Amino acid sequence: MSQNPQETPVPAKTLLANLAANAYSDAWEAKKRGEKVGWCASNFPQELTTTLGVKVVYPENQAAAIAAKGGGLGHCEHAEGLGYSNDICAYARINLAFMDRQSCEEMNMPMPDFVLCCNNICNCMIKWYESISRELNIPFILLDVPYNSEFETDDDTLEYMWAQFQYAVKQLEEITGKKWSEKRFKEVRDISLRTSRAWLKAAGYCQCEPSPLNGFDLFNHMAVAVCARGTVEAAEAFEKLAEEYAQAAKEGASTYKGEQKFRILFEGIACWPYLRATSAPLKENGVNVTATVYATAFGFLYDDNPLSMMRAYTHVPNAISVERAARMRIDVGRRNKIDGAVIHNNRSCKLWSGIMPEIDRRIQAELKIPTVTFDGDQADPRNFSEEQYKTRIQALVEVMTENKKGKKQ
Amino acid sequence: MPVLLTLGADLGSTASKCVIMQDGRKIAAQTTIPVGAGTSGPSRAIAESLAACGKNLADMHMVCATGYGRHSMTDAHMEVSELSCHARGAFFLFPKARTVIDIGGQDAKVLRLSGGRLNNFVMNDKCAAGTGRFLEVMAKVLEVETADLAEWGAQSTAPVSISSTCTVFAESEVISHLAVAADRRDIIAGIHKSVAHRVAGLVRRVGAEPLVIMTGGVARNAGVRLELEAAIATPISVSPLAQFNGALGAALLAHDRLLQQL
Amino acid sequence: MSGIEAKLQRFAAIADDLEGQLKKYTDQGVKVIGCMPVYTPQELVHAAGMLPLSIWGSEKYELIEAKKYFPAYISSLAQSCLELGLRGRLDRLAGVIIPVLSDALKCLSQNWKAGVPQVRHIQLVHPQNRRIEPGIVFLSKQYKKIAGVLEDIAGAPITPAGLKKAIHVFNEHRAVMREFTAVAADYPHLISPLARNAVIKSGGLMPRAEHARMVRELMAECRAEPKEPWKGRKVVLTGMLADSPSMLRILTDYKLAVAGDDVGQESRQFRTDVPDDPDPYRALALQWANIEGCSVAFDPERKRGRMVADLAARTGASGVIYLLTKFCDPEEFDYPIMKKEFDRAGLPSVLIEIDQQMRNYAQPRTAVQTFADMLG
Repeated sequence: MSQNPQETPVPAKTLLANLAANAYSDAWEAKKRGEKVGWCASNFPQELTTTLGVKVVYPENQAAAIAAKGGGLGHCEHAEGLGYSNDICAYARINLAFMDRQSCEEMNMPMPDFVLCCNNICNCMIKWYESISRELNIPFILLDVPYNSEFETDDDTLEYMWAQFQYAVKQLEEITGKKWSEKRFKEVRDISLRTSRAWLKAAGYCQCEPSPLNGFDLFNHMAVAVCARGTVEAAEAFEKLAEEYAQAAKEGASTYKGEQKFRILFEGIACWPYLRATSAPLKENGVNVTATVYATAFGFLYDDNPLSMMRAYTHVPNAISVERAARMRIDVGRRNKIDGAVIHNNRSCKLWSGIMPEIDRRIQAELKIPTVTFDGDQADPRNFSEEQYKTRIQALVEVMTENKKGKKQ
Repeated sequence: MPVLLTLGADLGSTASKCVIMQDGRKIAAQTTIPVGAGTSGPSRAIAESLAACGKNLADMHMVCATGYGRHSMTDAHMEVSELSCHARGAFFLFPKARTVIDIGGQDAKVLRLSGGRLNNFVMNDKCAAGTGRFLEVMAKVLEVETADLAEWGAQSTAPVSISSTCTVFAESEVISHLAVAADRRDIIAGIHKSVAHRVAGLVRRVGAEPLVIMTGGVARNAGVRLELEAAIATPISVSPLAQFNGALGAALLAHDRLLQQL
Repeated sequence: MSGIEAKLQRFAAIADDLEGQLKKYTDQGVKVIGCMPVYTPQELVHAAGMLPLSIWGSEKYELIEAKKYFPAYISSLAQSCLELGLRGRLDRLAGVIIPVLSDALKCLSQNWKAGVPQVRHIQLVHPQNRRIEPGIVFLSKQYKKIAGVLEDIAGAPITPAGLKKAIHVFNEHRAVMREFTAVAADYPHLISPLARNAVIKSGGLMPRAEHARMVRELMAECRAEPKEPWKGRKVVLTGMLADSPSMLRILTDYKLAVAGDDVGQESRQFRTDVPDDPDPYRALALQWANIEGCSVAFDPERKRGRMVADLAARTGASGVIYLLTKFCDPEEFDYPIMKKEFDRAGLPSVLIEIDQQMRNYAQPRTAVQTFADMLG
């Protein structure tokens, strides 16, 4: 699927979608060749597997796709039948159901020979992957990212992480029979940096008025930013995306159809089973999402010091203190000139939602904007009410309208 | 040997049921009053049963209370949980029963029987979805009698999807369907499906080993039963006495206790 | 009243009065450090000349203030710890150590900083790669850092010798508590499930050496009594928390005695001694490495189910009661695999959801009663 730049240009959106799909077909092919294939946590440093040339797939990504295609309920119910409480994260329930059935209509992926887990997302991730490792009797590689209550990450933490990374290299070499190369590691880091910069640049166009992109687009592109960062194709696709946005910004065009009357922060993971139900009321009211924490979170920037790379992985949205988390939102909100915020009280994500009321207060206090919280879930369709959502968006729009009038006067 | 009379009273959260048994074999009386523990229901149900066979409470050789209000029945000689009673009642009505599904007002439970003995069970989590109470709330929203839900649902041609776990959300889902003028029959069928799916999750935890039987008031709702059969891919048997099963089991356990004491 | 009853009442009074204990010791001029669930290096607090006070939430308060910070689906244990702080009930603490062993506890630590700034927050991050050398080194460093904070609060140094002595005191206390669980299993007619929990729980609310002495005296009196055959059944409890009086009385109502436990607040606290090591900080880190079968300590083998089944076999328990603290996801994740282990071992088990703000125990009562019937 290599692209010849001389031919009709393929839009970045398509390139990115293909890349996401390729990750899965690559894993299937590796599996067929008899290679060991893993299941991997999205925020695990992909530098490890990319350097070794080991193929992995991402259960969180699969769960989101299953949920978006309407398979959330069936999978959740199946997991609950296995004894998993319906309070458990729906990504975990969907994946554990898939693990039990080993296939599904919505989106298949190869079964794992090992798991790679990283708890800079949450500790729930460890419990979830423990269940996989135990049920399938496969090795567990853990990169433990200590939760950081301070604003900056200390060296003890970084040294511990780097030691684990090196330990993980050995474990993965042993499991897969592949050999680590420092030269390749350096290449992968360089490519990853290039991708990260391109991603940050592309996402940065949200600052333009009007924004050349519908903020919901980022939810779709994010998967590649997280998982395929170490490939030249990803770097090129994001560079292409940034170029397209630059062009659109110049022309005043946008992938958001209609007038952009209001700009908001959409806080939290998408409500995958209700992508349309959550985006339509925004569109009807001329609201565009110009800020999400993803926009900056997955630009992993680091230098040649390995500790610097480790540090980047401690700054992902769920691994940080309330002060840093609030700062992240306030900064992106200010830069991207938001008029309000919609906050997803996501039943699946205890960690994210468990400090959100405090972050919400800090956003309101510092940016002086209205916010509205709705109940939902990243993948279990039973925890969302369309009526509640519509009403709350409407209320937010009314307040933002009043605020704009106030400003004009 | 004289005739042994035992009385079982199932004082549920939404209805009071009473059964009087002769020698643990024959049902002498059965009554139900549609209000439960803490109301006049329990005493009325018992009084009506006694009257039906012309007896007094003093004539009962053993009285067993079960259900939500079992602890407050001072006239009872013994009190047993409704799960044990449903297991006993089910074994009487269906000696081959292995799985018993009971959807009560507050709790849904699934029982595993082996040789007539209860050897595993699960109950719903703290959530009303999948219980009789949920159906009542929904019936009220739809302005339909709970007893008529099955009939309405049976006429549905295109059931809507009701997916919310939370009763409040489900209510708003139902209202939004009503607001777009969806057919009430389709909404009701959707509600039945939703309850069945919740309960099917519990059934999977113990396994749907045949013979599967359903007891309790909701068993009379054919809509829920058919959806549940589909969800667990196993036929479900229901006795006409399903609603009395708890009280029946209580009366039988009272009889068992008498025999032990003889 | 027998001597045993009087002693048990004393334990119960302490266990039930977190705030009273805090007042009592601070009135005496003792500095007190709050220790939040699940594991904290209490030896460090002791070595700094202060009292470590184990805080496991409270049933006493409705969750009102905590709702400003937490959504409804966060474990009531984390919520009620915060509620205590927000209501100012813990203002006498000189500091609070909050380990971030679960996502709810991470949120608790952050919300504490935001909502209870008057009680100094001391961060503790346990490494989850706890058995490899880098993990052990990381935790030793963590403990040293915390020791520095504690020294600052106490205004007194923690010496290696002092820390070793503290480790000895706590290991002794652990040994006494292990012995007590065996005595409680032998004398269920004297020590009810509620009394058993009170004896254990009170240990976290007073100086350990004094508690160990009281427990020894209690055990001596019990042993002077004849053993009686237990007319009911014996069970093993597993879960994070089993200290609800209403719940424990239900066990008594249906003649269920506690033969042993795998409860976060109980045996998990004293199953694992701090091993010998020339470096006491490393010794403390090694204890964390040695912990087995706990839902918040990384274990890809998930040994907990087998451990609980073995415990039941060893103590002659005929069933397991899984007391699931609602919304405690580490415990929720463990359940399905444990259930399989129990079934494989032919060990009857029942799952009961509880939370600290529960007022209606109708469903747990029904489940316990049925379970007792089932055990025969």
